[in-house]
Amino acid sequence: MYFNATDMTVFLTQKEFIDTAIVPLVSIDLAAEKIKQSGAEADFLLSLTGFIEQQFKGRLVVMPPFSYSVMYKNANMPQELEKQFHEAGFKHVFFLTCDHFWTALEGQVNVIWLPAIPLESMNKSVKSSILEDQLRQVVPKFSEKWSMI
Amino acid sequence: MSNNRVSRRQFLSYTLTGVGGFMAAGMLMPMVRFAIDPVLQNHGGGDFVETSLKVADITEEPTKVDFTFEQLDAWYKSDVTNVAWVYKSGDKIIALSPVCKHLGCMVDWNADSGHPEQFFCPCHAGRYTKDGGNVAGTPPLGPLDEYDVQEKDGLLLIGPTKANTLVKK
Repeated sequence: MYFNATDMTVFLTQKEFIDTAIVPLVSIDLAAEKIKQSGAEADFLLSLTGFIEQQFKGRLVVMPPFSYSVMYKNANMPQELEKQFHEAGFKHVFFLTCDHFWTALEGQVNVIWLPAIPLESMNKSVKSSILEDQLRQVVPKFSEKWSMI
Repeated sequence: MSNNRVSRRQFLSYTLTGVGGFMAAGMLMPMVRFAIDPVLQNHGGGDFVETSLKVADITEEPTKVDFTFEQLDAWYKSDVTNVAWVYKSGDKIIALSPVCKHLGCMVDWNADSGHPEQFFCPCHAGRYTKDGGNVAGTPPLGPLDEYDVQEKDGLLLIGPTKANTLVKK
């Protein structure tokens, strides 16, 4: 599910089945030497979350990315967000990011850090096989949490 | 030249007929166009999409086939890749849609070790038999959709989805 009116209508009626939120954390670094890398990270993360949505549409909601510039990075943000998602009825919240900063929060919240793979130079079939590989890395983390309940 | 003079009355009636004719044509043309529109519609090459799978290579075991087509959303053109589970049942080629009828996840063949030879949905453990029938007691409420299939130059063509025709009620 995406965060839009149609999917949220389904969510409200199927809350017991749609119990997982995927929150992409996207860093926007505008420094001239980092801006390209930052763009590649955002592109990769959004492609991957879109692919995850396609595969697990009926179980999770992919949130619009929470983006922040270096100045607005707040180390408490994920915990606070997670609390709000739990209150809204999501049993599981996963933060997907390419920003290494958040790995410090592992153990407190579910952070999945992925190295950004530059997708811009790839053709479609290579791109989709890369995304499939990445998905295979992420799925065990989902099923581990899903099987706990 | 002047033995065929046009009188004022004649000139006015010619002009009025001409202008009136144009106006009538201007009104009638779109109406006629609307009326015969279905005939003029462009049907293109049909809705079938070619896959890279050779019909001869299809086995009894369901395999995953990707096929890509162009989709136009308003001004935004994008390539959409869809997946089908294709297998042979006798001489008939069967292509099933991977979209779970519960909440729309992608099902996988033989993915659950506890229930081999079935389609399995990882989201809520929905299961389907090989012909797409939903296993009672799991969340899905209907059988998997089927694709129309065609063969062209030895390659498999996949068309629009239709309700499952294999499962006997």
